[in-house]
Amino acid sequence: MSDVAADPRVDPPLHGDEVTILRSFLTFHRDTLRWKCSGLTPAQLARPLPPSEMTLGGMMKHLALVESNWFDSVFSGVDLMPPFDTVDWDADRDWEWHSARDDSPEELRTLFDEAVRRADAVVDEALTHAGLEQESARKSRHQDSTFTLRWILVHLIEEYSRHNGHADLIRESIDGQTGE
Amino acid sequence: MTQTFDTSTRTEAPLRADEVTALRGFLDYHRDTFRWKCSGLTQQQLAQPHAPSTMTLGGLMKHLALNEVGWFGHTLAGAAYPPPFTDIDWDADPDWEWRTAADDGPVALRALYDDCVRRADTAIDQALARDGLDARSAEPSSKDGPFSLRWILLHMIEEYARHNGHADLIRESIDGMTGE
Repeated sequence: MSDVAADPRVDPPLHGDEVTILRSFLTFHRDTLRWKCSGLTPAQLARPLPPSEMTLGGMMKHLALVESNWFDSVFSGVDLMPPFDTVDWDADRDWEWHSARDDSPEELRTLFDEAVRRADAVVDEALTHAGLEQESARKSRHQDSTFTLRWILVHLIEEYSRHNGHADLIRESIDGQTGE
Repeated sequence: MTQTFDTSTRTEAPLRADEVTALRGFLDYHRDTFRWKCSGLTQQQLAQPHAPSTMTLGGLMKHLALNEVGWFGHTLAGAAYPPPFTDIDWDADPDWEWRTAADDGPVALRALYDDCVRRADTAIDQALARDGLDARSAEPSSKDGPFSLRWILLHMIEEYARHNGHADLIRESIDGMTGE
């Protein structure tokens, strides 16, 4: 089992510059996901709330991939972090969701924490050169446009929030735990 | 009668934009995502929870309407709540909007929601014209002083995205519809 932690989250400050507020909201939602996934066994992390097939373990691995995809691949233009860099995505485009059931809670959390640490290092480094207007190395697959760092950070906040909404209902169905 | 929503009118937040445009773009995207998730359902379907959670899509719609006029109308602008949110004894019935939504038809719920969004946008326009994103709320937080408009906009993006996560799973359980 992973640790059952008391809620460790820090509310984002009510005032602040754009960078501070965006990063505070992102940190808050990363911690919300950690909290929603804490204290569960491998079987519980692999349990969906039908008819949806999503699981909390899969979600943790998916969000590790999301972090690496946006900050390593799209923003920096480098390879995904291991283990995502060597996956045959054509064979299984939902590999991270499916393979999570073979990982222990500790392995999932370690991978997630590593992805967050790397992402924060990319943002720290980028902000020493320029602000939130700086553009991604790679373009959108849907539009002939790069992304600003601003867009990527707000997108990550909404991506996490939406998955935390899924996590709310899945967690409640596993052991009754609720809470914002 | 059910609510309708034309998904071709839902647009992604612009990839390279200033802060105000990006934040309002993400908020509008989530408002439209929510309209879509609630569209095409009967009154009975809008009142159907995905157990063990007791949330319903109709309740969510009334709750988010209340959030729009609560955060942007009341807290930001200091305006009175519009009907039907006046004269409710919230201490005696703290979940009034969730509970009473089951008595409302789909068209009435959507009309209320759209009206609250319109009021919220007017309050945002006025605050931005006055002080930009650093505008201070008329009503303070219970312990930390006034909110900045920047904080309120980001909070509403995460609030919507999280509820859209709930809506994803509730809608899939009603009729199988999925999608981001």
